[in-house]
Amino acid sequence: MSVQALKKIKITEALNTNIWDVDSRPHITVDYEKCRKLCDKKICTLLCPAGCYTLSDDGILFSYEGCLECGTCRIVCPHEAVKWDYPLSGRGVQYRFG
Amino acid sequence: MGLNMIVAVKWVPNTQIVNIDPTTGTLIREGIPSIVNPHDLNAVELALRLKEKYGGTVTAISMAPPAARAGLEFIMGMGVDRAILITDKVFAGADTLATSYTLAKAIEKLKPYDLLIFGHETIDSSTAHIGAQVASWLKIPYIYYVIDTEYRDGYIFAKRRLEKKIEIYKLPIPCLIAVAMRSNEPRPIKLEYKLRVKLENPLEVWTNNELQLSRACIGLRGSPTRVEKAVPTPTIPRKKMKYEGQDVKEAVKWLVDKLLEEGLKII
Amino acid sequence: MLNIVGKFDVVVVGAGPAGSSAAYTLSKNGFKVVVIERGRTAGSKNLYGGRVYSKPLEEIYPEFKREAPIERWVKRERFSMMVGGELLTLEYYSRNSTSFTAYLSRLAGWMAQKAEEAGAIIVTDVRVDDLYTEDGIVKGIVSGGDVLKADVVVDAEGVNRLILERHGLVPKLLPRQVALGVKETIRLDKQKIEDRFGLLPEEGLAWFIIGNVTGGLPGGAFLYTNTTTVSLGMVVFLEEACKKVQKHVFDILEDLRTSQPFSDILKDGVLVEYGAHLTPEAGLDMAPKKLYTDGLLVVGDAAGFLLNLGYTVRGVDFAAYSGYLAAKTIIKAHSEGNFKAENLSVYQKLLEESFIIRELRRHRKIAKLLRSSELFTTYPEIFVDVARKLFNIEYTSPTLLQSIRESIKGKTSLLSLIVKMLSLVRAL
Ligand SMILES: Cc1cc2nc3c(=O)[nH]c(=O)nc-3n(C[C@H](O)[C@H](O)[C@H](O)COP(=O)(O)OP(=O)(O)OC[C@H]3O[C@@H](n4cnc5c(N)ncnc54)[C@H](O)[C@@H]3O)c2cc1C
Ligand SMILES: Cc1cc2nc3c(=O)[nH]c(=O)nc-3n(C[C@H](O)[C@H](O)[C@H](O)COP(=O)(O)OP(=O)(O)OC[C@H]3O[C@@H](n4cnc5c(N)ncnc54)[C@H](O)[C@@H]3O)c2cc1C
Ligand code: SF4
Ligand code: SF4
Repeated sequence: MSVQALKKIKITEALNTNIWDVDSRPHITVDYEKCRKLCDKKICTLLCPAGCYTLSDDGILFSYEGCLECGTCRIVCPHEAVKWDYPLSGRGVQYRFG
Repeated sequence: MGLNMIVAVKWVPNTQIVNIDPTTGTLIREGIPSIVNPHDLNAVELALRLKEKYGGTVTAISMAPPAARAGLEFIMGMGVDRAILITDKVFAGADTLATSYTLAKAIEKLKPYDLLIFGHETIDSSTAHIGAQVASWLKIPYIYYVIDTEYRDGYIFAKRRLEKKIEIYKLPIPCLIAVAMRSNEPRPIKLEYKLRVKLENPLEVWTNNELQLSRACIGLRGSPTRVEKAVPTPTIPRKKMKYEGQDVKEAVKWLVDKLLEEGLKII
Repeated sequence: MLNIVGKFDVVVVGAGPAGSSAAYTLSKNGFKVVVIERGRTAGSKNLYGGRVYSKPLEEIYPEFKREAPIERWVKRERFSMMVGGELLTLEYYSRNSTSFTAYLSRLAGWMAQKAEEAGAIIVTDVRVDDLYTEDGIVKGIVSGGDVLKADVVVDAEGVNRLILERHGLVPKLLPRQVALGVKETIRLDKQKIEDRFGLLPEEGLAWFIIGNVTGGLPGGAFLYTNTTTVSLGMVVFLEEACKKVQKHVFDILEDLRTSQPFSDILKDGVLVEYGAHLTPEAGLDMAPKKLYTDGLLVVGDAAGFLLNLGYTVRGVDFAAYSGYLAAKTIIKAHSEGNFKAENLSVYQKLLEESFIIRELRRHRKIAKLLRSSELFTTYPEIFVDVARKLFNIEYTSPTLLQSIRESIKGKTSLLSLIVKMLSLVRAL
């Protein structure tokens, strides 16, 4: 992905520059019911740096594949809707530079 | 008694990265780690499940450069009993023929074995030839697309998933199966096993000193395949259409319509 | 049923700077140590900004300067306030340097390798799930169903500290205790880096930027030069971000990268990595009530040992040094025959005597000031405005005081500006 001056890139393009070994089992799960019923701000959609949380109809769509394992969603979710752990077996993002 | 199994795993570049240098147009490969071919982990998983069910041993072999040690240590962390790295400069540059020959000869040294378990194909070359070729060298029956296996009365009953049905084949041992992709989800690495790997350093390394294969049959010299010409696949110009609405259902319908216009057929 | 799989003198959780430095020091002193790291390799899960202070590391690793994967020695320090495309910059250049830029993945990898060479066992790909206790005394760790026993556990699991939380040793992490960092690593020709930043070969730049660089969120942006890459990123305080964020954090960073002057400086760059990580921001206020209990020591980010002064961040050296002190504690406790809390309390003492707690205490107030929205928005606006008036001369040249008076009109009073600035200077 070439970073041209002034051209903004999409988050998926940025994530694509990383090395991944994505597990077939998710390491994070989200209780969508809580998102739909309890949460109006849905702060995770703006603060998850990997864009794993997206708005859908009245709720949330979560995909763990691009997760950078930062832990933000676990901490900012006001409704404890996020069940969070690190991936197993060294899977997930593989930083080369860090 | 149990089953003595050999699993073949390949060490492949992690091709999930698409980082292109804009000036040269080439893939940036710096620091890109290799991994165990993901489909081979499904083979390892099936082997471990069979071991749990019937007893026996699981030996992993890989023909690869020395760095593949890390990959074999990884699958030993899943619970494989023994791992052999076949590595020697003289094996380099092998096509599928030379690769399968070398693997077959190594496997012969591991006799007696009951079941050879292969991945379906690799993510870096994906010919899906190696399993069949190894079985041919060893003159044993083989079957692909296996999702599960039973072992009864000295026979392997291999369950094979096809498009619309499941077939069960009865094979005499020894035989070879290639495991269907995405079946047998690999188990996580276990502390106990990974620790043992670190403490006991059990990995075996075989060079051609051990195998004593003729140089004419291995490596680049033993590889009759010649790449005549590489034809780049035609790039289809992008139409750059964009759905402007908000509604997801509408968007899907719009997309399907566009694809139908392009000649896609729904069957 | 838990499966006991071995016994070591010390188990270290996490092969970051803190864990590996503890393991290295212990192994060198003859202890049987195992480090358990969840990543594929030591370093593969670590991410930070870009610059490390060298002295504490040289004390731990005698061959540090010769062997460590150092990118550039930081000789240029830059601090800017940015409003729109206007920057007011303070720059310090010195031929002496006490810090260097490095990739944390490689630096952490190097430290783990040193520990391994000294005799430690590094087990990667394995996640620790919990502490293993007998009668309330920590006696090892649990992973999957496996228990690895040890006389002492060093918890170096980093900022998220799930294990400590799970074990009830710290309360759940709160947004106000952490900041979120996001970073792009951008490949750029070595020559271009040196030309564009005015650097000689092997010289590095560390640059902090505040102002309208973080989408109105309290925090700041940073830029570090490595040999052939530039790291551009930002850190935002999570509690304030929760309240004020309007735009996706990645898009805020992209706004910065594609705005002047960064778009020009980074022209022809190639993005090679994008990452994110949390960083502790509450220092001593988020430390576990006790940094040690029977059989357990807490080091590095897990203990909250990080100093963010607004113009620089010190985490790696704090982490490594706390690991080193934990190792010293264990060596001493071993000579006394047991690893009960009373013997491990030496750790607290060593920390207090070291720069770690002294620095954290000295700068305790800064954390609060750094989040005040004036610092991130109002002040940069005022200062940049003053600079504009002073330097953009057409016919008349205004006096400094005139410019300041005009610039602060409606925003704050001169007095309150002076008071705030003084308190900031005092806190620093
Ligand atoms: C035309 C052509 C030319 C080539 N030229 C070269 C060359 O010059 N240099 C070069 O290095 N490579 C070359 N290759 C690649 C090389 O042939 C293959 O990497 C190798 O033979 C394995 O084939 P595959 O990856 O398609 O395996 P597949 O047949 O797709 O693999 C099936 C299964 O076989 C097993 N397996 C495959 N390879 C190994 C292995 N090495 N060790 C253990 N188990 C294994 C695994 O279980 C795997 O899942 C060439 C390939 C082709 C098609
Ligand atoms: C955006 C940002 C910018 C920063 N900039 C700087 C800077 O410029 N200079 C500086 O000095 N510091 C900086 N820091 C701080 C610095 O990165 C940290 O303070 C430092 O890395 C802490 O080291 P540590 O060993 O305590 O933790 P970490 O580096 O986080 O290491 C913890 C290790 O434990 C492993 N682990 C975690 N949980 C488990 C588990 N359950 N089982 C097994 N392993 C586990 C992790 O994979 C990781 O390898 C920055 C931080 C951030 C986020
Ligand atoms: S913040 Fe929590 S509850 Fe709200 S949408 Fe996100 S995950 Fe759901
Ligand atoms: S851990 Fe970080 S990157 Fe992963 S989903 Fe949560 S916020 Fe996003």
